[in-house]
Amino acid sequence: MPDFLHVLPPAPVLFGQLLIGLINGSFYAMLSLGLAVIFGLLNIVNFAHGAQYMLGALCAYVLLTAFGIGYWPALVIAPVVVAASGIALERILLRHLYQVNHLYGMLLTFGVALVVEGLARQQFSASGNSYATPATLTSAWNLGFMFLPVYRAWVIGGSLAICLLTWFMIERTRLGAQLRAATENPLLTRAFGINVPRLVTVTYGFGVGLAALAGVMAAPVYQVNPQMGSDIIIVVFAVVVIGGMGSIMGAIVSGFGLGIAEGLTKVFYPQASTTVVFIIMAVVLLVRPNGLFGNMAAAQQGHATGGEALVKARTPVARRALLLAALVAGLLAPFAVYPLFLMKVLCFALFASAFNLLLGYGGLLSFGHAAYFGGASYVTAYCVKLLGFDPVLGIVAGVLGAGALGTVCGYLAIRRQGIYFSMITLALAQMVYFLAVQAPFTNNDEGIQGVPRGTLFGLVNLNDPLAMYYFVFACFAIGSLVVYRAINSPFGNVLRSIRENEARATSLGYFTERYKLLAFVLSTMIAGLAGSLDALVFQLASLTNVHWTMSGHAVLMTILGGVGTISGPLVGAFIVAGMENYLAHLGSWVTVIHGGIFIVCVMVFRRGIVGETAQLVLAWSKASRPPVDVGRFRRRFQ
Amino acid sequence: MSPYILEADALRKDFGGFSAVAGVNLRIQRGTIHALIGPNGAGKSTVFNLLTKFLQPTGGTITYNGQDITRLRPAAVARLGIVRSFQISAVFSHMTVRDNLRVALQRRLGTSFHFWRDSAGLDVLDGRAEQLIAAVGLQDAIDVIAAELSYGRRRALEIATTLALDPELLLLDEPMAGLGREDIGTISDLIRQVGERYTVLMVEHNLSVVSALSNRITVMARGQVLAEGSYAEVSANPDVRSAYMGAAHA
Ligand SMILES: Nc1ncnc2c1ncn2[C@@H]1O[C@H](COP(=O)(O)OP(=O)(O)OP(=O)(O)O)[C@@H](O)[C@H]1O
Ligand SMILES: [Mg+2]
Repeated sequence: MPDFLHVLPPAPVLFGQLLIGLINGSFYAMLSLGLAVIFGLLNIVNFAHGAQYMLGALCAYVLLTAFGIGYWPALVIAPVVVAASGIALERILLRHLYQVNHLYGMLLTFGVALVVEGLARQQFSASGNSYATPATLTSAWNLGFMFLPVYRAWVIGGSLAICLLTWFMIERTRLGAQLRAATENPLLTRAFGINVPRLVTVTYGFGVGLAALAGVMAAPVYQVNPQMGSDIIIVVFAVVVIGGMGSIMGAIVSGFGLGIAEGLTKVFYPQASTTVVFIIMAVVLLVRPNGLFGNMAAAQQGHATGGEALVKARTPVARRALLLAALVAGLLAPFAVYPLFLMKVLCFALFASAFNLLLGYGGLLSFGHAAYFGGASYVTAYCVKLLGFDPVLGIVAGVLGAGALGTVCGYLAIRRQGIYFSMITLALAQMVYFLAVQAPFTNNDEGIQGVPRGTLFGLVNLNDPLAMYYFVFACFAIGSLVVYRAINSPFGNVLRSIRENEARATSLGYFTERYKLLAFVLSTMIAGLAGSLDALVFQLASLTNVHWTMSGHAVLMTILGGVGTISGPLVGAFIVAGMENYLAHLGSWVTVIHGGIFIVCVMVFRRGIVGETAQLVLAWSKASRPPVDVGRFRRRFQ
Repeated sequence: MSPYILEADALRKDFGGFSAVAGVNLRIQRGTIHALIGPNGAGKSTVFNLLTKFLQPTGGTITYNGQDITRLRPAAVARLGIVRSFQISAVFSHMTVRDNLRVALQRRLGTSFHFWRDSAGLDVLDGRAEQLIAAVGLQDAIDVIAAELSYGRRRALEIATTLALDPELLLLDEPMAGLGREDIGTISDLIRQVGERYTVLMVEHNLSVVSALSNRITVMARGQVLAEGSYAEVSANPDVRSAYMGAAHA
């Protein structure tokens, strides 16, 4: 027997994993297909796609357990029901966002996803509910080299058929032709008498239905549980980045391909099976930044992130007075409120400011800041507890670690713009999360506990809550100062111009990606500072800090407080930390509330609390003056 | 030194199977105002994007001042002195007129990565900024947010920021698009003045502007050069006439 055969795993293992890979790939393909169809016409990344997939599965489960309706009827009923909810969502909410920056659509659907997942967790056990394989498909075929369960064959064959059917419909039928025309040029298509808004609604409903259908098909394969959607959607985002959303076939091929790649990795190098898709994504970004099937048209950038409030205390005197007031309030605060709570607020606020530096002043929406926050907290906890670093050195190590990670991730992410940037940051952060789950030093679910706070410069014992508070406050002040200075620096000026109009900044001779990278690294280091402090304050570094929900927190705090405002993140942090502390007994309802806040902010409150307040003050002070001449802005299309 | 500041040779750009630019030869003589005209979809903007490297050509070469720039990145091309405007007006909308100018001017200071410095350090640029702002007639709007300017004044601001770079060659894509009658007069005067100091290549649909301003005209249709010459020569050309009629162009 030739030697290399020993390296190969036994055939049943190989084919078994390949089969699992194909099954996963089937769902990736169906979901990324739906995402691509929706994105093509609506220009919105449907973050709720995972939640809608989960709803499909849950719906089938409820149909069975509560009404005794079996798999086959559910295969029709569940997608229709979920698609109807999607149509309602499009009609009531999404519709109003087509004229604003595409990032808002992503934020809104993220909020919807949180609401749906939170509600589902409230109703159904998180551990999973099994859904029996339909009786007609329980047998298995003997293929000679392995047994093929009929249900699995059906999933692969069925989803492949559905994908191809969708492709055929879009590329080869009249309806598809209308759809493609509307994608290319909605105005012109409208002029031809095609009802584009209805087409948009139908398309969204179709994409959502496809997700729900995948959910029903997945129900007997996986456990039906509320987080099955968020588990899969991030991988699907990576798939979409790899395939490029411009091509229907691209979505299908990369979905199945990556499923197979995952399966093969499980055979040959199981440790990497959860991260392999993200690694492939990183490689693709390096060699083919527009994705394997991406075309330039689809990769073109969106317009500048509008909507940020341009708020700034106008006079230096007012600014100084505000700063002084904040300082005094910060120094006196621990005598009025629990220091531990205040420290949490400060950590969160610093974290949100880091995020705000990127979004508010660079127009870059990172959905992966948990990686730097949580990564730094692990580094600091490890250095302080196991290597005996003193707290300051521990923090420095954490900040540098976050910066190093930020440099790598930033380098990859800035190769794409707009919503792609957001998806890449999210996917890379998920990879960091999986690494944290696997790495031995993070102790998995337990985390690094009992991190000593130590003594500051060998003098001040930080176990004293007040001393610790003032230490955190000083770090917060330094971090905020760095952010403030960066915003109001020559660099900040260029960064803002890139946010406003990247093409124009390029035509002025700026290598814009270098500025974006610097902003990204700065932001990750500040996020790292926040994470390091968090580890010392709570004497713990855990998976919570690297989980995507933590990234969501950064977005939430900033949007709520006010994107592009200096004090917005602090205000947002107060509210979010407060909710976490005082509403903890409500369980999953907190997630629902977070989602609700996202929806409200995106729909009616885009400037956030600080921004809207400043706007009111501004309107009030301007009331006596005549309105500004907004000019004759006639935009030419084409 | 060659009389041509910019030469494009057999320039080509395919989108999928479709050639938006199919073998264009273009030579821009130093010190002239050169117009590029043609019906909608002729490929004029695509040529601009190719010359400024916002698009990578499928084939052909671009030479600028004797240097091959075919493989350069757009920012590098801008640094060599080719500065473009866009078909849809490109200003930094949420920044003041002054800050728009500062962005253009500050690159030369070499502090653009200095995130630890106060932006007050950019005050040294104000003299030059105010000069440029006055040159385009915006002195009364220096602290106004660009988005609040009228469309014509935004065009003027865009030209001011372009001039701030001290370019050698200006590429203007439809500078008159969307302007009212008075604004057209103002911007025309501005371009004429600019043309005395720099070389200008502009795409423009307004033929009376083209005839009044430009020394030389290239006509494009369906991705190819149809004719080249003075306004009189070009407008007498039967191919040009039929291209315009055929496209039912106003
Ligand atoms: N990114 C792209 N992908 C596919 N086709 C494109 C792309 N950009 C331009 N085209 C096509 O190339 C052709 C030339 O377009 P271009 O914008 O250069 O024309 P133009 O001469 O500037 O027209 P106009 O006078 O309307 O501005 C058009 O048919 C257009 O649809
Ligand atoms: Mg054009």
